[in-house]
Amino acid sequence: MPSFSHSWLPFIYLYVGGGIIFFSGMYMIQKSKALDLRLNRNKWWRKVLYFGFFYFLIIHAVLIITALYW
Amino acid sequence: MESLHGLGTATDWVVMIVYFIGIMLFGSYFAKYNRSTNDFFFGGRRFAWWLITVSIVATGVGSHSFVKYAAKGFEHGISSTMTYMNDWFFMPLFLFGWLPIVVYTKIRSIPEYFQKRFSPSARFVATVFQLLYLLGYLGIGLLTLGKIFTPLLPVSFSIIGISIPVTLMGVIITIAIITGVYTTFGGQTAVIFTDLIQGIILLFAGFLIFLMGINYVGGFESFWHLLPPDWRLPLADFNKPSDFNFIGIFWQDGVAGSVGFLFMNMGLLMRFMSAKSVDEGRKAAVFNVLFMLPLSAIVVGNAGWIGKALTQMIPSQLNSNVNPDEVFIAVTHIIASKGVFGFVIAALTATLLSTVDSLINAIAAVYINDVHHPIKKFFNKKTGTAEHEAKQELRAARIASIVITGLGILATIPFSKYPTVYEAHGYFHSTLTPPLVTAIFLGVFWKKFTPAGVLATLLSGSSLMILGARYPALLITPFAHGTPFDPIHPYTYISALYNLIACVGIGVLVTLTYNLQKHVVERIKKLGSHSIIMTALIILIVISLLLIWFNIGSLAILFTAVILITISISLTSHYYIKYNPEVQLDGLTAWSIHRAKEIFKGGKVNEREGEVIKANWKLKNDNEDVVNVSKEDMKRMEAEVGDLVYVSDARKYLGGLKSFHSKFGEPHDEIGIIYIIEEHRLTAQFKVGKILTAEKEM
Repeated sequence: MPSFSHSWLPFIYLYVGGGIIFFSGMYMIQKSKALDLRLNRNKWWRKVLYFGFFYFLIIHAVLIITALYW
Repeated sequence: MESLHGLGTATDWVVMIVYFIGIMLFGSYFAKYNRSTNDFFFGGRRFAWWLITVSIVATGVGSHSFVKYAAKGFEHGISSTMTYMNDWFFMPLFLFGWLPIVVYTKIRSIPEYFQKRFSPSARFVATVFQLLYLLGYLGIGLLTLGKIFTPLLPVSFSIIGISIPVTLMGVIITIAIITGVYTTFGGQTAVIFTDLIQGIILLFAGFLIFLMGINYVGGFESFWHLLPPDWRLPLADFNKPSDFNFIGIFWQDGVAGSVGFLFMNMGLLMRFMSAKSVDEGRKAAVFNVLFMLPLSAIVVGNAGWIGKALTQMIPSQLNSNVNPDEVFIAVTHIIASKGVFGFVIAALTATLLSTVDSLINAIAAVYINDVHHPIKKFFNKKTGTAEHEAKQELRAARIASIVITGLGILATIPFSKYPTVYEAHGYFHSTLTPPLVTAIFLGVFWKKFTPAGVLATLLSGSSLMILGARYPALLITPFAHGTPFDPIHPYTYISALYNLIACVGIGVLVTLTYNLQKHVVERIKKLGSHSIIMTALIILIVISLLLIWFNIGSLAILFTAVILITISISLTSHYYIKYNPEVQLDGLTAWSIHRAKEIFKGGKVNEREGEVIKANWKLKNDNEDVVNVSKEDMKRMEAEVGDLVYVSDARKYLGGLKSFHSKFGEPHDEIGIIYIIEEHRLTAQFKVGKILTAEKEM
């Protein structure tokens, strides 16, 4: 069985470290009105951006579980 | 480590040559769509997102990825996909910060942004860093090409009885000469269409290898269980070994590399700029990162995974001691038949050649735009008619291309000392991207960031980076997260974290002490000898930089030199640079995107969301660059006179190839008719009887 430092630790660091960058970026573009949420198409873009973050998080989690248990 | 030779057969070489000729002819067909330099360099801002997405695949996959990811796939397994799956974190800042700024400000190069946002001196220093970055990329590209071709060639050639050994450097030099001959046809439009077809072929070739490989080892389940458990994980071990660890790669690739690729790679930015609108560029970027990159990760790394499975299944078939950079070639050679091997290698090298060729062109463009023009302007040099000047410029560009190719060959020397292209590329990203990446990033997202801050980031930041490279055990170890210290290649990846902290730290410190610097400079100005003091400070900067570059003195002396550089830059910048935040922040930061749109449009922006209309076209007699549609159609589009409009052939599969941008003129009463001028028709190559679509851009 691979060690924790090879399986879940990189995953946690990736999505905590990357998450800080991602959510700071989301905050900044909304605060600066670069992502102007008064426009309908920008509301769609906001959903796409959040979807992308969780999409990669789920892919990595599924791949780790598959590698460990299949 | 075992090196391969003589793998290519006559059939493979014939397939390769036919492929090359086919691709060049395909690209040349699209040259007719270039009617201006805007068309040539930026594809006339006309394409649909899906076309850009596929054309980007060849940029991401084709350049050097097959070699380097197959090598790491062979050495470490599925975690070779890591670098393709960590780009999303910066997407909000790229899609809604940098991309609209690049499009709306119409900048032609990254250094040009530095001039607009900061000062001409910032542009000059940024140009030097940009050229170093591009030359490094060129060196990596040439090195990879050399590593692909060397296994195909025999150990030595014999010409008139003289035996000439085939060496990596010899192959690189020969390829560099061939690249000079491999002319780029037709500019950006041709590049997009050539890359479109090459992107599809590369994906096909990569999956072909995967399927053949899986079949070769007895199916997917057999393949999966042949891989040792550690090889199946998608992320590398947290901090070991030194040549491939998660933490180093996160900072080197996920942070410095992702920002470098998205924010600094002009080749990639020019693709997004050729999209018909910013929103269309966003769609291309999102689709690329969400779907094409994960697919590409499989395409580029699978030869290494198959290679590992082969060494477990039939150890005699593939020596586990094979040079990792040759694994891709070795595995493809084992599992593919004659001709198919040639096709795969041709697809790979053709893309690599066009990447290298585009890079040489990009560097020549930076030289002409950011070195040649400003120098000419500085000396106010006029040498004759516009035609004569254009000829001179073309000659200068050609000479620059030759010199750049030579420098590219030289750049391969430090990179060739690394065991694999992957580590060479990692070292390149860690050392060459942080100063410029930090400068762009702070410039775009931090309004307070000053010209002194950007110059200190670039010069003092890079000086601290040099000290880090010289004293890694002392300076980088505290940031190394426990990664092992390799004395030959110390902290190849995690040095990116130290370098980023050094650059950001200097930039933030200098910017936050703005008022103090201002106060000191005002006091100096009151002295009679103020200009002498400033000249002395500039001499001090030069001497300190020389001490650091040539490693003269102990660490304490060199560290003092960095402090002196930082203080001197802060004071001289305040003294010499005329910086007007109201003008130089206008439309140039993420905080003023709306203004950028207004400047782009030349008036108030109409953000109301309307419909896309279909219409027949008619030519009008005047030459005013506007189109006229009916009042009814204007209403459906929520458009007003003066708004920007995008008109395209309605056939979606053309991806916007036949299209143009203009403004709305006065409406008429003929519903379903759009009036255009002859120049619009020529630009878009519209055919009589074909329906058009029109949509308001803003």
